[in-house]
Amino acid sequence: MTPPAGRDGPADARHYMSDYFRLERWEIPPADGTEGFSEFGGRMPVDPHHRGAGGGLRTGALLTNLDSVGGFLSGLSVLPRWIVTTSLMATVTRLDHLGPLRVHGRVLRRGRNSVVAGLDVADEGRGDALVAAATGTFAVLDPGDMNVAFDRPAVVPMPPPTPEAPPPEEFFRIRPGVGTTTRLELAGHLRNPWGILHGGAVAVLADVAACRAVVQAHRAGRLPGRARSVEHLAAADTVLHYLRPARVGPVEARCRVFGGPDGRSLVRLAVHDVGADDRLVSLGSVLVLAL
Amino acid sequence: MGLGGYPPPGHFLGDIGFRTELIHETAAVGRTRVDRFVAGADGGARAGVLATLVDVVGGLLGVSILQPDWMATADLTIQLVRPALGPFVEARVELVRRGRTTMVIEADIVNVFEDGTEVPDPRGSSSPVAWSTTTFAILPGGNRTAPRDLPADLPARLDISGAGLDRPVTDMLGMSVLDAAGGRVSLPVGPYVHNSIQAVQGGAMALLGDVAAAEALGAATGLGAASTVVTDLQVAYLTLGRVGPIVTRATVLDGGAGPGGGAGGGDAPAGPVPAAGSAVVELVDSGAGDRLTTVVNVRGMAADAFGAPWEPASDGVPDRTPHQGSP
Repeated sequence: MTPPAGRDGPADARHYMSDYFRLERWEIPPADGTEGFSEFGGRMPVDPHHRGAGGGLRTGALLTNLDSVGGFLSGLSVLPRWIVTTSLMATVTRLDHLGPLRVHGRVLRRGRNSVVAGLDVADEGRGDALVAAATGTFAVLDPGDMNVAFDRPAVVPMPPPTPEAPPPEEFFRIRPGVGTTTRLELAGHLRNPWGILHGGAVAVLADVAACRAVVQAHRAGRLPGRARSVEHLAAADTVLHYLRPARVGPVEARCRVFGGPDGRSLVRLAVHDVGADDRLVSLGSVLVLAL
Repeated sequence: MGLGGYPPPGHFLGDIGFRTELIHETAAVGRTRVDRFVAGADGGARAGVLATLVDVVGGLLGVSILQPDWMATADLTIQLVRPALGPFVEARVELVRRGRTTMVIEADIVNVFEDGTEVPDPRGSSSPVAWSTTTFAILPGGNRTAPRDLPADLPARLDISGAGLDRPVTDMLGMSVLDAAGGRVSLPVGPYVHNSIQAVQGGAMALLGDVAAAEALGAATGLGAASTVVTDLQVAYLTLGRVGPIVTRATVLDGGAGPGGGAGGGDAPAGPVPAAGSAVVELVDSGAGDRLTTVVNVRGMAADAFGAPWEPASDGVPDRTPHQGSP
């Protein structure tokens, strides 16, 4: 896969990932005379190549955008320092979004070492139905040489559609296959401004890997109900703990399928940086639903 | 007997009863009995009770690892795979990562018999009934407000036992439903629910979120709280709840209805009533200017779709009797 515009890497790593999903973002400063932190809005279209089994935006894509909005608003709340994501916890109740999806984010708590952000998602195509909610935790760090200068209030317009945009598996360099382990190649364009694998890439990997693992479990007779293909499965609620940076790659998501009532399977994921002594970099879970 | 004087006599943790054991420098196990006083609509231990179990066992492990530093629970997730029917539930906790400012643990939760052997799942094999993660914020310098210094050598085994429960733990805690549809439930604050620094214990907050969501989701679906089981909790602890009462408010998300729509019931048939739903529950300290203390993302589903409904104690499941709260 060739990144958009034929580049090997992003011109601005602060926006590259969200540009792929065409995420629009805007800062909402506190009302005049009031103290507090800016809130944030975001809007994402549901482009055809980002639709999942439910017909709406795939959860990995949704989480990437939530990470981007939550990270942006949390980062602005701690300037001149900046943040890195340490956890995302999301519940996703609809998978048949019409779109666009609109995100609203706010700082729930800003501490010395971390920021907690609350995010909710409305489907504008369904009369602003509330379809997902998430909580993100972000560790506060010294940004070093990273550029944290932004025009305020910050506004990032929605990029135009890219006709040749690849599907997520291709963009995120996820190898094809089915099974309990799914591998991602850590390409340059998947690194965030810190130079490590973007949290959104881990979210997309988790989505893909969990669905593939459920297919494998069905084939092995370890889950009740009829066997299903990936095309009939969708990731919903997701928990991700970002434990350590993934710097080297390739990165593997190794899954353990716990099962659940028919049509619902809980999958535990351990994400390892194979090239960095196979160290554990993320841990989480995905609820996979049969549709 | 607790740790460093915690929990004190007459505490809800003692009444539920826990037996914990450090089995390795990075692992611990702990269990509690499942009976109707800690059960939800599916007959198994409520997600909030399991969260309390994980918080207790994880806390013991955390103290062991971090001593002389202390910690506070920052977030906790628990996801049920099937009903935690017991007769006991055991949390098997392992350290995932200890960093400079945080520590992450994970836990498998399994149904076990009193002798500790696993209860087979419906397919006859061994598998967890739930999975959990917890993040602790590390507080350097120890717990200056604990009632008593911790012993230098922590005991490998710890029993937390009290008078036992003679009614549902939610009643013992004094939870009262103010408005089911709005998910408004109140919890009084006092020594019975205090943690070691005189704020509301994290498990009690998770349980409050569980109860509030069951009320709100039950009202939204028409199933009622008594037929709604909370299967997933994602708890973010923001600030301590010190004054009280702690009051909840819930926002129910749009669950859709049926395949391709609602992400709740998998193969649930299309129809006006979703088989499941999610809610966001906010816990505010009403005595501290309605300060937001905790946010809980919750998923629930119809109890009969998740597992068998609760059978009365006469079916042979033991009641909890005084002084038998601990396994």
